[in-house]
Order: sequence, then C-alpha cells, then structure tokens
Amino acid sequence: MGAFLRQRAHEIRPAVRANPSRRGQDGRTLRRRALMIVLGAALAFVLVSARLVELSLKGVHAPLLSQVEAPPSNYARPDIVDRNGRLLATDVAVPSLYADPALVLDRDEAAEKLAAVLPGLDQEELRRDLAGKSRRFVWVRRGLAPRLAQAAHDLGLPGFGFRNELRRAYPLEPLAAEVIGSVDTDNRGRAGLERYVDSAIGIDGVHGATLSGRVPVRLSLDTGVTHSLRDELATALRRFGARAAAGLVMDVDTGEVVATASIEREPQPTRAHKEAIDRVAGGTYELGSLFKIVTVAMALDGGKRGIGSILDVTKPLVAGRYTIEDPHPAGRPLTLSEVFTLSSNVGAGLLALEAGPERQKEFLDRLGLLMPMITEAGAVAEPLVPGQFGRAEQITVAYGHGLAVAPIQFAAAAASIINGGERVLPTYLSSIGQPQPVRGRTLSAAASSRMRELMRLNVTEGTGKRAGVPGYDVGGKTGTAEMADKGGYAEKRVIASFLAAFPMKSPRYLVLVSLFEPHGTPETDGDVTAGTNAAPTAGRIIARIAPQLGVFPDTGKVAELGLGE
Amino acid sequence: MRMPIVAALLMALSSAFLVYGLSYDTRQMEARVNDRERLAEKLRNDIAVLKAERAHLARPERIEPLARAQGLKPSTEKQLARDVAGTGIITGSNPNR
Repeated sequence: MGAFLRQRAHEIRPAVRANPSRRGQDGRTLRRRALMIVLGAALAFVLVSARLVELSLKGVHAPLLSQVEAPPSNYARPDIVDRNGRLLATDVAVPSLYADPALVLDRDEAAEKLAAVLPGLDQEELRRDLAGKSRRFVWVRRGLAPRLAQAAHDLGLPGFGFRNELRRAYPLEPLAAEVIGSVDTDNRGRAGLERYVDSAIGIDGVHGATLSGRVPVRLSLDTGVTHSLRDELATALRRFGARAAAGLVMDVDTGEVVATASIEREPQPTRAHKEAIDRVAGGTYELGSLFKIVTVAMALDGGKRGIGSILDVTKPLVAGRYTIEDPHPAGRPLTLSEVFTLSSNVGAGLLALEAGPERQKEFLDRLGLLMPMITEAGAVAEPLVPGQFGRAEQITVAYGHGLAVAPIQFAAAAASIINGGERVLPTYLSSIGQPQPVRGRTLSAAASSRMRELMRLNVTEGTGKRAGVPGYDVGGKTGTAEMADKGGYAEKRVIASFLAAFPMKSPRYLVLVSLFEPHGTPETDGDVTAGTNAAPTAGRIIARIAPQLGVFPDTGKVAELGLGE
Repeated sequence: MRMPIVAALLMALSSAFLVYGLSYDTRQMEARVNDRERLAEKLRNDIAVLKAERAHLARPERIEPLARAQGLKPSTEKQLARDVAGTGIITGSNPNR
C-alpha cells in the first residue's frame, strides 16, 4: 500500500510542477479529502464507543435461548451443628449412576450385572426404564457409596455414567435423629428441622455437587448431653424392663432444648431415619401426677392458698359414677405442701373444684397446655383436651388424667412455673447472641418461688427422694399414670415420669424422664411407681449432665452430705 | 504525510499483536482459573467428607466404650473449678455455653 501511495504522489508531483498556477487549488482538494476521511473514521469511532458505553451501562441482553434455565438437579443445604459447633448434618458429594438408554447395547445383560453389584436394585424396573429408547437420561441409583460406584464402574457397561450429586450425611445418627428430620433424593427438607431449614434459612439449587456457602444452622442441642441422656435412658430401659423411654433436658429460661431422646426396647427394623418414633414431641400421653405441679401452682397463684393451708382429704371425691381415692390414704387432713409431696389425688381434685372450671381452664391455657404447639421441628402432637370441664373432668385433669399432652409441651409449662413465671416456648435453635423476646407472664413470681420450694421438699422428703444428687439441689415431682386400656385403666401398665429441675435455688435446667410400661424388679420391690424408677433415672441423668453443662454444685452442701468419700 | 501513515500502520500492527497476545493470555488464564476452581471444589468436597467422617468417628456412642476401657469415667462435679473471674473453666473456655 505504501508503494502505491508513493507512486501516486510521484504521478501528481510532475503535474503540479507543470502547472504552478493550479498548485494551491490541488493542495486544498487533497487536504479536504483527507479531512473528510479522518472525519468519517472519527465518526465511526464515536459510534462504536457510544455503542460500547451503551452496552456496558445496560448490559447485554442474553439471547432468548439461554433465558430458560434448566431446573436445578439438586440442592445445597447449610450444615447443621450443635450448640458447641459439632457437626450434626452436612452435605457430601457422592456419585450417582445414570444410563443413556440409546447407548446401552444389551439391556438384559446390563440389568443383570448391575443387580449383582448394587444390592436392592429392581431388575425389572431398570429393564423397563432402559427399554424406552426415546429417553436419553435415566437415573439408575442415586447416592452410591464410593465402593459400590467403583464396582459398578468396573463392569465397563456402555451407556452408563456417573454424575456427582450432593447427599445429606448424618454422622451422629441416631443421636437426635427424630428432631433433625430428613431430606428427599433431591436434598430438599422433608421433615423435622431439615424442613425448617428450607423455609426459614433457605437452600440453593445447584447443578452437580457444589456445596452450600451458607452459615451453619446452630441448634440448641448439646451432643454430649444428648448422648448421656440416651445412655441413661437405655440403662433405665434395661433395668426396669420398660417398653420405651423418653427424656428431655430444657433450659428453663430460654426454652432451648439441650437434649432430647426417645428410645424403644424393640428395635424398629423397617423404620428408617425419617420415621424415628419421637415420644417427646410426637405423641400425647396422660402424664399423671406431674400435673399436680400445675394444679398446686394454680392454687398458690390465686393467692387463696398458702403452702400451710389445710385440705380435708379423708373422704373420697365422688363425681357421677366415679369415685376418686388416694392409693395410700393419709387418713388425716393434709397441708397443701403434703398434698404435693404425698401426691394426693383427692387433694389435687379439691384444689381444682375450689378454683372452678373457668379458672382451671384459663390457667391451663395460659401455660399453653390446651393449644396446639409448633416448634422448628414441626408441629407438636396436639393435646387431647376434654370437651367440657365438668366436675369429673376437673378432678381428673387436676391429677393428670383426661388431658393428654406431649411431654415437651408439658415441660414448657413446668419450666414457666419454675423460672419465676416467664412464659416459655420450646426451641431447638441456639439463642446465643439473640435478644430475649418478651413473652409475658403465666403466674406470679411469689407462686413460682413457693413451687420451687415444694419441688425441692418433694425430693428431700417426698416421693422423689431417689432423684436427689448431692450438691445439686434437685427438685421434682413424680407421676405414675395408668395407661388407658380397653374399657378402663390397667393398673400394672403405667407411664412413670419424673420432672426435675436443678439447682432449685435458681433453676437453670429442667429434666423430664418418662418410662413406658416399666416392670417391677427386686430393686423396686416389685413396684412400678415413678418414685422407684423414673426418679432415680432422673437423678443419674442430672449427676452426669450437670458437670457437662458447667453447673456448679453447692459446695457447702457437698461437705454437709459428706460427699468427699 | 508519509511518517504519520507509517507510524499508524506500525501501531495498528503492534496493537493487533498486543490484542492477540492479551486474548491468548486471557484464555490461558481462564483455563487455569477453571482448573483451580475445579480443584477448589474437589478439595471443598473432600473437606466436607473428612469433616463428616471425623464427626462420625468422634460420635459419643463410639468414644464412650473406648474411654471407659481406658479407665475413664464421666466428669463429676468434683472436677469443676472456678477461675479467678468466678466463671467456670467449661463456661469460661467455651463461649457457647
């Protein structure tokens, strides 16, 4: 190009020389042309840069094709950790086996070989899936163990491949499994806290196996305490020949569930993780004399009764065709505190009648015992409330029959009675660093203080003696409820429960233990009442978990009881 | 007229080389970043598996019999001590309690 220009210049120059008069005019034309070219180029540049600026400001509109995003193949979930940061649930990438039916050469051979390697693979179904040649993608098995994936890979079948997917792992299973819940094959929460994570915290749809970048969900549960609770319940199950055992440890101020466990004597072979029986929140039971905590608190809160006031319990109570008697009648009038520590049914019935149905219902409602309750792990089994509060219902509810509630719901009510009268809502989430919500009051601080004294008294000299732990100032109440049977109540089939709190001077934790259908043993003199089985179990649990929870013993009392050994 | 044109040509040529070099480097870099990202994801997944395995191996159910075989027992209230500030060792060392 350079040569061409030079040649042109050469051609022009002689002409210019030949006619000097036209020289200036030619130079002007040339400059004008050059200027026009430069201007044209400049204009083009301005246009291009203007378009660039416009694009960078507005962003490029993606072509229509990619606007339809493929649905995510699975979901990344945040980890779940306990209150101390120990891992309870996490996502791990695992290979999933898929097939491209169009590329499978011999589907009978493939199905047979795969069934030999992968246990539980339905050969018929796989053969049917592979027969549909129009489909290009069929899942064979999702979430394979690495060893099985290798074995399947080693078969060298054409048309089969692996794709990494996220799968939920529960390293501490079965610890707290009934609360944590489960997920489906796409890693979406299906039950329990996993479902709560979906709705309240959020999960991210992903292609392949990209882990979630979200902050772990911190629960209120303590792994160590939960294990101790499970272990002691399992021991009690064996010792007292019970059919099942359930237990709960709750912070009385915040309602945080520190530990929960529900174990069955007969293993449930067909029940997987997702269907673990939860007797703490998933079933309602008549809890028997535990309800006297509520009844006596109601009497004290009304201000009409003090702990020294006398009740005439010598005569049985009659309500319609029922006669309510005490199993071991005192034979004399009792004070209110004796009604509690000797667990007098007649006394509790008298207190309920005295308060009247309206007041009794209102008080139960204020403690949250009549309404359905919801926690992060889902709905708690709904309480079974008698349709009306007639004389018979008033008396039976007063000593814990006729009103069935889930243990966790009763524990929340009891926590409120113990903690000075603040309403308690059970939660499975850690409330560290969260402001305490204002929850309202359920009863007077004075009545709550009296109740703490009564519960302590019941352990030092009442039915709960065996729950005592030196130094820990344990207080509590026994409850032995006969189980409703065909046409009445069976006397030997009982639910033996103990509700304890410690240390009673300023309670921090509540422990609820329920043993279902315990048997009499030589150790209990053939007895099945809660004082002989549930109470000592609660005592053992407290002795074990209190140091773990960092609760200090009352050292003065340790010396006094000679615990130095 | 000659010099500016030649200079412009040279500049056009060199910038073409420069642009090509840059885009080549960028593609290389992209490939490297992709590799790294894939490696990071793989490592993250490995870490997740190891964390899960560690938690599984340290589950109390498994540790307890091992600890008892060593002659260890659950901690008792006698092992609790208050430090100078009046908080317990467990309470003090663990902000989550």
